[in-house]
Amino acid sequence: MTDATPGAVPPEDDAPALAATGVTVRFGGLTALSDVAIDVAPGRIAGLVGPNGAGKSTLLGVLSGLLRANGGRVSLRGHDVTSTSARHRAQRGLARTFQQPEIFQGLTVREHLVLAYRARVAPARLWRDMFDPRSLLPPKPEETERVDGLLELLRLTKVAKAPVAALPLGVVRLVEAGRALASDPHVLLLDEPLSGLDMHASEKLCDVFRQIVNENHHPLSIVIVEHDVAAVLSLSDTVFVLDFGERIAAGTPEQIRKDPAVQAAYLGDTEVQAGAGRGTAAGSPS
Amino acid sequence: MLQFVIAGLVLGGIYAIAAAGLVITYTASGILNFAFGAMAFFIARFYYFLHTQHGWSIWSSAVVSILIAGPAMGIILYLALFRFLRLSSPLIKVVATIGLSVALPALATWIFSNVTIQQAPGLAPEPVAVYQFLGVPVTLDQVIVYACVIATVVLGAVVLRYTEVGLKVRAMVDSPAMTDLSGTNPEAISLGVWAVSTLFAGLVGVLAAPINGLDIGHFTILMATSFAAVIAARLRNLPLAVVVGLLMGVATSLFQRYLPPNSQWTTTLVDAVPYIVIALFLLYTLVRGGDVGEKSAYGGALDRAITPQGESRLAGSTSSMVETASLSFMGKYAGPLLLIVIVGVLPAIVTDYWVGLFALAFAYAVIFLSWTLVTGEGGMLWLCQITFAGVGAITAAQLATNHGWPVLAAAVMGGLVAAAMGAIVGFLSIRLGDLYVALVTLTFGLLMENLVFTLPTFVNQGLGLSLNRPQFASSNLSFDYLCLAVFVIFALFIVNFRRSTTGLALNAARWSEAGARTSGVSVVQMKVIAGSIAALIAGIGGALLAMAQSPFVPNANFVTFLGLTWLAVLVTIGVRSNAAALIAGVMFVFPAALFQNYLPSWTWTTEALSVLFGLGAISAAKFPDGALAENSRRLRHFLLRFRPVATELVAEPVDAAVPTGAVDGAPRVAEHVS
Repeated sequence: MTDATPGAVPPEDDAPALAATGVTVRFGGLTALSDVAIDVAPGRIAGLVGPNGAGKSTLLGVLSGLLRANGGRVSLRGHDVTSTSARHRAQRGLARTFQQPEIFQGLTVREHLVLAYRARVAPARLWRDMFDPRSLLPPKPEETERVDGLLELLRLTKVAKAPVAALPLGVVRLVEAGRALASDPHVLLLDEPLSGLDMHASEKLCDVFRQIVNENHHPLSIVIVEHDVAAVLSLSDTVFVLDFGERIAAGTPEQIRKDPAVQAAYLGDTEVQAGAGRGTAAGSPS
Repeated sequence: MLQFVIAGLVLGGIYAIAAAGLVITYTASGILNFAFGAMAFFIARFYYFLHTQHGWSIWSSAVVSILIAGPAMGIILYLALFRFLRLSSPLIKVVATIGLSVALPALATWIFSNVTIQQAPGLAPEPVAVYQFLGVPVTLDQVIVYACVIATVVLGAVVLRYTEVGLKVRAMVDSPAMTDLSGTNPEAISLGVWAVSTLFAGLVGVLAAPINGLDIGHFTILMATSFAAVIAARLRNLPLAVVVGLLMGVATSLFQRYLPPNSQWTTTLVDAVPYIVIALFLLYTLVRGGDVGEKSAYGGALDRAITPQGESRLAGSTSSMVETASLSFMGKYAGPLLLIVIVGVLPAIVTDYWVGLFALAFAYAVIFLSWTLVTGEGGMLWLCQITFAGVGAITAAQLATNHGWPVLAAAVMGGLVAAAMGAIVGFLSIRLGDLYVALVTLTFGLLMENLVFTLPTFVNQGLGLSLNRPQFASSNLSFDYLCLAVFVIFALFIVNFRRSTTGLALNAARWSEAGARTSGVSVVQMKVIAGSIAALIAGIGGALLAMAQSPFVPNANFVTFLGLTWLAVLVTIGVRSNAAALIAGVMFVFPAALFQNYLPSWTWTTEALSVLFGLGAISAAKFPDGALAENSRRLRHFLLRFRPVATELVAEPVDAAVPTGAVDGAPRVAEHVS
């Protein structure tokens, strides 16, 4: 499959959609990430879990270009993007959401999606449109199709014209996801997209992510950071586990469930040993 | 040389105390006090009032003004204003202090009378005693400054580091919310901090008056110079701010010692010391490629969590945005169109005197539109729009008068030169954050005012420069319509800008830089574009103003402090609306003319309007959208009471993927759901 997006760069053969190796981040004397590696294949979902302070959001910051690592490399579709900015990565097909939603309170729901679409598909409009009254004319059909499709998929059509400042957190999370998807990304980073949602809403949103990955017109990979381990394990093809800034496990959800290091990280060594004979303990990855 | 170092340390000591006051206030309250110079002027003027005008002794005058009136002013201002700004955005805080900086000097003139002050007294009795130190004569005034600097640094360090009060202040700097939860009253600490800060301001004022002159313009420059030290100290590093302040004083003195005494370049270089410091800092930061961490400068995680996101942002509280979005086409544009018609008809029916004033009002309105774009849309506070107006006026005058350009082409070129300057200033400052933009633009304005606008070519022995109107607009009425047409063109441009992709991108960059960057939007590019176009508008508006006022003297008509008053007027009316810019232009010109013509002189002083405009800007703390938007909103609410459909605007569940169980208590806006 090809990508007709102007800013897109053709992928290297057999390259992972996103890969990071040896990522190390230090904040003063604190090592937030130490030699962490992660990769996600095209069209796959990778989960990133770990206790609080494990370095998950820091890793997403490095992957998205918002945070400079002290060491390590990041590549997007086979191209080294380590030294590129967040904006350049976005234009190359990397999109993300945030743990604390980073929304544009002055814009409506629809405008969020329109801006993200144009920023990647028609970046020249970002500065030309102010001099061009034609920018007030109806948008091109392909833009309308993409934006309307996403609004429908995320069930945001009825609030499309509402300023996001007036919307509740759950809807705002959908707007963020819609904005990320509107740029037609190859890789989507989701930072705790289910936080603040109840179980029913979480399940619905997970269904949406599965549907997008399965039905997208080119392979879309997702990296999801989430505290709801059960949701991540059910959604992901591969799972990476971080603890105290180090990658302690990687594998399929089944492998992760059985990994003693993961159980120790979540429950502590003593409880794992005590619970070994009792089967899976409550609260452990299950 | 030692003599010059000692003399430099006096000036540097004053800078150091001012910088210390600014840093302490900023770290403890998150407010960068742009009114520090005005406060210093007010107390110094009070000291002069007591000592010189009423014959009080030095010590009683000093005790009452510095030790009593200074802290009292801090306490009053905190209780009346600053305590309401704790959770406000940096822009609101800056605007409120700018309002104060406009109101206080006018208030001082009002209260203490407008007398010509030849020489302000210091704290040393006249005649001032002179001592010998290492063979260098040192005056008692200088000794007092040294003592004050040492006392400030030592006492500040001891109190902050070793006392319980200092511990509480440091705790509050880290997190006012956590300090509150741990049983300490952050309000009491803030009150104390503001009292100390204004005490410093008073001390600086009285110490600086004999050297600096008791004039608000000089105090504004003193404050801007101290800002250089504060910028170099990254707003928070108190010892560094003090050291840089002292070094700037010494550098100034040494330049005077070693450079040719009668050279224009010597004067230029001496005046440019603080700007060189700022330029070096900006270049260092650019080369280093980092930011200065302004966003994390105040409060902890809990404080940020309880700060309502988007609320109290200058020009765009969320509630007003929600309401504006719900308006129909007529709801949005009927008022501005009606206003254009009214101000278009009025010049045709009034006498020529008032017609001439309309030209001034429209020219001001064009300049004000530059803030509508850069502050209203871009969320950035540029404090040098008057400088861009001056650049536009000077360029146009030079090209039209000396090089025979058609005057309108010269005005456009003036705007383009201003736009180029705006792009450079924006590129250097925008990536550092909102506060730095305000600081850098203010100092850029003062730099231009003192180094460029004062050039003999432009001052022309006090006669200034001439800029004739175009021939087709030589009458007052036709010139009115030319200015109004320019206003309408730029207003339409801003309307288009808001709705264009550029406007969306700028809006996005304003609300969330991280969100914008990860969506593929260049935050710096968008803001530089907005700043540059705003400078272009100000430049062209400046050329129109010069035509209306011709001849004009750049260092009298385009003074930075006057620009703050312009901003105060606009913020009072509303910085987000084109109509507000037009009304602000009218408000800046006509009340003064009306009062002067129709009210008895004893009921009226020119300071009264400045006080009112200053108070208006302060009110931005409560009404960030300005009086026009606030009153329009109230009028709409009032009218909605009589509409039966209003009862249908009841919240309905939003049929999105997330059910009503989602977290958040934000109101649903069913009227937007179409």
